[in-house]
Amino acid sequence: MLASAAAAAALLPRRLNPNPNPKPYLLKRLASSTTTSSSARTTPPNPQIPISGAAAATAAEVESNPTPLFLRPAEHPIPATSLAAFRRRAESLIPPTAPHLHRHLRWLLADAAGEDPALLRLPLGDLEALWIRHVRDRRPFQYVVGNEHWRDMVVAVREGVLIPRPETEAVVEMVGNVEGFEGGWWADLGTGSGAIAVAVARMMGPKGRVFATDVSEVAIEVARLNVQRYGMQDKVEIRHGSWFEPLEDLKGKLMGVISNPPYIPTEDLPGLQPEVGWHEPKLALDGGKDGLEHLLHLCEGLSSVLKPGGFFVFETNGNKQSEFLVDFISTKWDSSFCDVGAVLDFADIKRFVTGYRR
Amino acid sequence: MARALLRITRCYSSPLSSLTFPPPPPLLHRGAAPPLRFLSISSSSPSPPPSSSAATWDGPGVKGGGDGEDFLGMSDDELMGQCEMGTFKASGPGGQHRNKRESAVRLRHRPTGIIAQAVEDRSQHKNRASALSRLRTLIALRVRKPINLEDYTPPVELLQILPLKSTIRGKDVGPQIGPNNPKFAPGMQALLDLLFAVEGSVSEAAKILGLSTGAVSRLILSDDALRTAANEVRAAKGLKPLK
Ligand SMILES: C[S@@+](CC[C@H](N)C(=O)[O-])C[C@H]1O[C@@H](n2cnc3c(N)ncnc32)[C@H](O)[C@@H]1O
Repeated sequence: MLASAAAAAALLPRRLNPNPNPKPYLLKRLASSTTTSSSARTTPPNPQIPISGAAAATAAEVESNPTPLFLRPAEHPIPATSLAAFRRRAESLIPPTAPHLHRHLRWLLADAAGEDPALLRLPLGDLEALWIRHVRDRRPFQYVVGNEHWRDMVVAVREGVLIPRPETEAVVEMVGNVEGFEGGWWADLGTGSGAIAVAVARMMGPKGRVFATDVSEVAIEVARLNVQRYGMQDKVEIRHGSWFEPLEDLKGKLMGVISNPPYIPTEDLPGLQPEVGWHEPKLALDGGKDGLEHLLHLCEGLSSVLKPGGFFVFETNGNKQSEFLVDFISTKWDSSFCDVGAVLDFADIKRFVTGYRR
Repeated sequence: MARALLRITRCYSSPLSSLTFPPPPPLLHRGAAPPLRFLSISSSSPSPPPSSSAATWDGPGVKGGGDGEDFLGMSDDELMGQCEMGTFKASGPGGQHRNKRESAVRLRHRPTGIIAQAVEDRSQHKNRASALSRLRTLIALRVRKPINLEDYTPPVELLQILPLKSTIRGKDVGPQIGPNNPKFAPGMQALLDLLFAVEGSVSEAAKILGLSTGAVSRLILSDDALRTAANEVRAAKGLKPLK
C-alpha cells in the first residue's frame, strides 16, 4: 500500500511555516499578460530568458519544499472559476504546436488537485510560478509534479536526483528472467530515486534483498521515500557510499549486480537537452572520459562481490560503449565471466551489457 | 544493427493493473521467455510523436481474419498474446541524454494485421491498456464473421446496444449500452456482421432486429466509427452512405 502524504511529510521535513498566501504580484503579472496585446503571447516562450526577480524568488521558495507536489496535503481551497481562469492563462503561454506541453498542463492539474477538485496541494500563485518555470526555463515536468510514471509505479523525484528513463525499465525485466532471482541478494549501485531497486524488490519473494547504494545524499533521501511508499523497507536496504565501498560485508554473496551509472562522456555534457543539462545533477550524468570511468570501475569490482553464477546488468550510453565493454570483459576477464553480451533497448540501441560470473 | 534482431522479452502480465504489480510471473531462465516480440517502429516524425492516439489498418480492405475466431471474447492477456508490441523508435542517443515523458505503444494484432496505438497516457502501462481497448474497437469494426440468416438469432451483445423499443429485446437484457461503454464493441461487431449478411440493407436489418429503419439508422449514426464501417459495407454493395 502506498504510504500517505502524512508519512511522506514525516520523512521529508516540510517547511515549518508554509506560506499560505498566493503571490498577488505574480497573479497580476500573468493576468495582465493575458489582457494585453496577444503578440507577446503567441511567440513561443524562449528558454534562454531568465525569469524576472519576482517570479524567480517565488520559484525558489516553491522548490524549497522537499515534499513532492503530488504528495502534499490538498488544503488550499480553489473556486472552479479561478481554476478555469488559470487553465486559460497557462494555455496562453504554450503554442498549439507543442502538444506535449498541453499534456503536461493536464497532468499538472491532475497532480495538483486533491481527491476533491476544489482543493489544491499548493496555493494558486505557486502553481502559476511552477508552470512558468516549466515552459520558460525548461525545468523538467517530472520535477514540477515531483514524480515520474515508470513501469507500473509512480516514482517520487526531485531536483538533485535523476529522473528514471523509460529505457531503464527493461533492466527490471532482465533481472526477473534470472533463475531464482526472487530469493537472492542483489545490489543496485547508484540507485538514484530507487526506481530499479523498488521495482525489483516488488517482484521478489520473502528471502530476496536489494542493497541500494548511492553517493548522493539527495538520492538516498528520495530512494528512502520511494522504498517506503511501496512498503519495501524489509526488502530494500539503502546504503550511502561510493559504488562497492558500502558492500564490504557482502563480498561473494550477491546473486546479481545492477547499475545504471553516469555514462555520458564529459565532452558531451554541454550539448545536452536543456531539461537534462540545465536541471539534472551532473553527478548522475557525467561519465568522465568517453563516459566509461564509472562503468570500468564497476567492471573491476564485479567479480569480488558476485557469487559464482551471479548475474550483472549495466546500462550504457549505447552501441559503442556496449561493444567496447563486452569486448573488454570477455578479453580481460574471460576466466571470470561467461555469456557476456549486449542487449538492445526499444529503439534498437545496444543499451545494456549483461553476463554471468563463472 | 540488424532490425531483424528482435528482443525476446517476457510480457508484462495483466496489462490493466496500474498500481498493483501482478503476482511474480513464473521463473524463466534467460532465453526461455515466451515469444512476445517487441518491434521498434520508426515514426516519420520521431519527435514529438503523433499527438493523439490513433489506429490504422494495414490490411487491404475488410477481411475476415482468424477463421471466425472470437477475438473480442478473449481476455486482455489472451488478446495481448496475439499481438506484437512496438514502441516508437526514439531519435538520438536516448537514455540519460533525453527527457521525454510520452511513451507510445503500438500493438499489431497478428491474426488480422490490425494496428492500434496509444500515446496519450503517462506511462507505457496505461498506454498499453488504451491501445488494447482501441484494438477491440477496431476488431469489431473490421473483422466480419459470416452469419447464416436462416437460423439467426441476434446475440445478447447486440440486443444490449439496441434501443428499448426493439420488439425482439427481452426485458432481461437490461438498459441500452451506449458507445462509451466498453461492452459496445462486441455489440457493434454483431450489428456489422448482420448488416454485412443482409448486404448493407438497413431496412432488412431493422426487420430482423424488431426496429424501424429509422431507429437502426439512428443507432448506426450514433457512433462515428460505426457509421464509417457501416457505410463501407454499404458502399461495397453499391448503396448510398447513411448520413
Ligand atoms: C544515471 S543515475 C541512475 C539512477 C537510477 N539508478 C536510475 O536508473 O534512474 C546514476 C546514479 O549514480 C550515482 N553516483 C554517481 N557517482 C557515484 C558513486 N561514486 N558511487 C555511487 N553512486 C554514484 C548518482 O548519484 C546517480 O544517482
